[in-house]
Amino acid sequence: MDKKINYKSVRLKAGLELHQQLNTKHKLFCKCPTEMKAKTNHSAIIRKQHVVRSELGEADTAAQFEFLRDRTFHYQIFPEEVCLVCVDEEPPHELNREALDIALQVALLLNCETIPTELHVMRKIVIDGSTPMGFQRTVVVGMNGHIGFKGKRIPITQITLEEDAGAIVEEKGGNVTFRLNRIGVPLVEIDTGILEGFGPAELQEIAYIIGIMVRSTGKTKQGIGAIRQDMNVSIRNGQRVEVKGIQELSLLSKVVEFEVQRQMKEHAKPETRGANQDGTTRFLRPLSGSNRMYPETDIPPFVISKQHLEELKKSLPEPLIHKLERFKSKFKLSNSLAEEIMESEYLSLFEKIMEKVKADPTIVANTFTSIIKDLVRREKVEINRIYEHRFFELFEHLADKKIIKESIPEIIKYLASYPQDGVSDAVKELNLRPLTASEVKDIANSILSEQPNIQFEKLYGIVMSKVRGKIDSQEVMHIVKSLIKK
Amino acid sequence: MYSQEIESLLKSKKIKVGDKILVSKGKSTYSGILMPRIELGDTSSLVLKLDNGYNIGVKFEKDTKIRLSQKGKPIRFKPAEMTARKDPNKPTVSILGCGGTIGARVEYTTGAVFPAFSPGDLIASFPELGDIANIKGKKLFDILSEDMTPEHWKVVAKEVVKEIESGVDGIVLMHGTDTLHFTAAALSFMLKDLPVPVILVGAQRSSDRGSSDNLPNLVSAVVAAARSDIAEVMVCMHANMSDNFCYLHQGTKVRKLHTSRRDAFQSVNVLPYAKISYPEKKIEMLRTDYRKRDKKTVKIDDKFNTNVALIYTYPGIKPEFIQSLRTFEGVVIAGTGLGHFPTNPTNDSFTKSVLLAVKNLIDSNIPVVIAPQTIHGRLNLNVYETGRRMEKVGVIGNECDWTPETALIKLMFVLGHTKDMNKVREMMTTNISGEVSERTEVL
Repeated sequence: MDKKINYKSVRLKAGLELHQQLNTKHKLFCKCPTEMKAKTNHSAIIRKQHVVRSELGEADTAAQFEFLRDRTFHYQIFPEEVCLVCVDEEPPHELNREALDIALQVALLLNCETIPTELHVMRKIVIDGSTPMGFQRTVVVGMNGHIGFKGKRIPITQITLEEDAGAIVEEKGGNVTFRLNRIGVPLVEIDTGILEGFGPAELQEIAYIIGIMVRSTGKTKQGIGAIRQDMNVSIRNGQRVEVKGIQELSLLSKVVEFEVQRQMKEHAKPETRGANQDGTTRFLRPLSGSNRMYPETDIPPFVISKQHLEELKKSLPEPLIHKLERFKSKFKLSNSLAEEIMESEYLSLFEKIMEKVKADPTIVANTFTSIIKDLVRREKVEINRIYEHRFFELFEHLADKKIIKESIPEIIKYLASYPQDGVSDAVKELNLRPLTASEVKDIANSILSEQPNIQFEKLYGIVMSKVRGKIDSQEVMHIVKSLIKK
Repeated sequence: MYSQEIESLLKSKKIKVGDKILVSKGKSTYSGILMPRIELGDTSSLVLKLDNGYNIGVKFEKDTKIRLSQKGKPIRFKPAEMTARKDPNKPTVSILGCGGTIGARVEYTTGAVFPAFSPGDLIASFPELGDIANIKGKKLFDILSEDMTPEHWKVVAKEVVKEIESGVDGIVLMHGTDTLHFTAAALSFMLKDLPVPVILVGAQRSSDRGSSDNLPNLVSAVVAAARSDIAEVMVCMHANMSDNFCYLHQGTKVRKLHTSRRDAFQSVNVLPYAKISYPEKKIEMLRTDYRKRDKKTVKIDDKFNTNVALIYTYPGIKPEFIQSLRTFEGVVIAGTGLGHFPTNPTNDSFTKSVLLAVKNLIDSNIPVVIAPQTIHGRLNLNVYETGRRMEKVGVIGNECDWTPETALIKLMFVLGHTKDMNKVREMMTTNISGEVSERTEVL
């Protein structure tokens, strides 16, 4: 395939839809937590869904299509994370105010000129079974926003607050299983206008900037699935194709490239496609019509007072761009490390740790930006199993000199394997208590007494093999040197 | 309705709900279809449907300007046109509508709920019904079930009899769920020698959602009405939170036991008659003690005395409250435990007995019937001194196993036939329609 596509001449048009989960205490319309910690479900509810006649009595083509597939939906129930509201057995509770305020902050950060004075929650028809209701609740919180990019104005057409759907577990024959602990977790969706004149890499950069603005609230979830990107892609004389579920931002430019190549080759039909892990896409269903929304009559309209909006404006969080400068000046992080931690999904955790723990900022930032990344990539360590407060413990140990920085990877590996254990358990189990200089001296002396003529390098090597991870190697070097000199 | 200020401005600009308008306010301009103002929220906010389907509210203030941009169609429900075809080899089921969620359809623009009730509407909404039976549809009334009255029950009973006489093989009543079990009990007493199944059905979830329980419930009810051999008044609703089967409950032994779950209706003290698998539509019998279909003609007995009260007793209940019930011709007291109310046999200084107040009612020819607050289980007035005292003053209901609602309706029915206290006592404690059982199965 020709790699040198001129995106301007194929008239690439793209619209971005970024979905970011919010890290609120409760779900959007019930009092379930949003943590999604539970691993095993204890039961399942089996449901069928049928075609509902959408606006003006005409059945939605996409709904018909799904109906013909005659599927049975299995909804996994997770204790403490799924309630009757989540399984559509109880009406929704009031809109979560914490989530609403975060969404409004996002709207303000993205310069929305319009914030509706009265919010109307809508039901968006969902026909793939991913919600037990058959719809997803969603509400517009901002319109007519923009961000700047390379001197151009990128229009943000709309910001909505909505509930997440269930996560698909498997599809076997006509049986589809969903995990329901994710349902109802608040999401903000940010839609750009149609972006023209940008290439795939630039589109990815724009998505990145939008993402970083949303993360400025400090109330966003991190990790796989916390940000999901959908986009509309079309080329000259082509049809609009919707690509759903780009799980990693770094995949976005590739998806655009592949999709443009595909559309040039196949002459695209208007349809919804799913993004694959490798950046290619697969057919999901025909594109839904526009009549897929109607009012959620179980939730009264909600008036946003001018006063409340003014208060939110006053307490707007610092955009991350400003944060970058502060990290460099206050924490003395190098430019590249500061940028890395800004982009890291652990940014807010890093900040929280720096607020509470007096550990070396460079070591803390480095742990999140490179040590954890390496452990995940090379050793497949399941970092998500580690509870957040363990990281506080870890850096408290470091600040109190109860561990040395070299032992951090081993401790993290241990915590991921035994999430119920604390850092002190890890230190004990892995025998990582730092050694004092005199303890190291004793070890070196006992070797010297057996091999009095040993060379410096050899002695250093043997001592290090016995003390690695328990004392700084520079210090070992000093100790061994001082003994050999005698 | 919008605020007066908005309404008169709209009128002067000849703008109607459904028109596309432009609203400008400060720097912002909004374009969308003007929606009707729902009763909740701020009446001085214009509700607009944006092009992408979302609704937003825009506060109408001094600087707000409205302009008509395109005349629209009036927003209203468009009924489906579809004729039900008739197949002589299929049984015929008559579906009567009494209102409620199950018979409602949503107009998707506004989210407003409309009643829908021609056979065509039914077949259009639930095409599967046509595969099971020939469907006749008729709307009796369209009310919320909490607004049902004994007068409505009589209309329903008469219409059911009319349908049976026209030769249908079964009847389905679509009904709101709040008081569905009251109507079921009332029809159980009113309809004598039923020759075909009469099945009440409702929905706990609105019909707009793909997951509504209306389809499984209605399909199962029509299956039971068309094919089952059980000629009783029954309730057909979800058996659990899944969509895999429904139960057919006995009309006098069923109660709504949950505010919102799909399986809110459960049989009390008995097993349901049958379960109906969905979507397989198979009937599996769970009991054998039912009236079978036959060709007898149905009789109606709709004499009710509705001047009857149902109250709960509670700690600290005042004798004056009981005394105040003397304007009624019969009283049901939902008692605690085995059926008790306070009689203070230990002469406690805090406690006030209501026994004398109850006795005074009975002595003035107002029967007092008890029922269990516990819902489940059988009453027994012989175990404690309290019960023995209640029995002594003439409280009715010892060893009965009815729900408070069934006891209430039975008392209305009995008082429609006699005012003689002895007769009342005898009729109340004698089984009429399965409401009083002699033994309770270990379930």
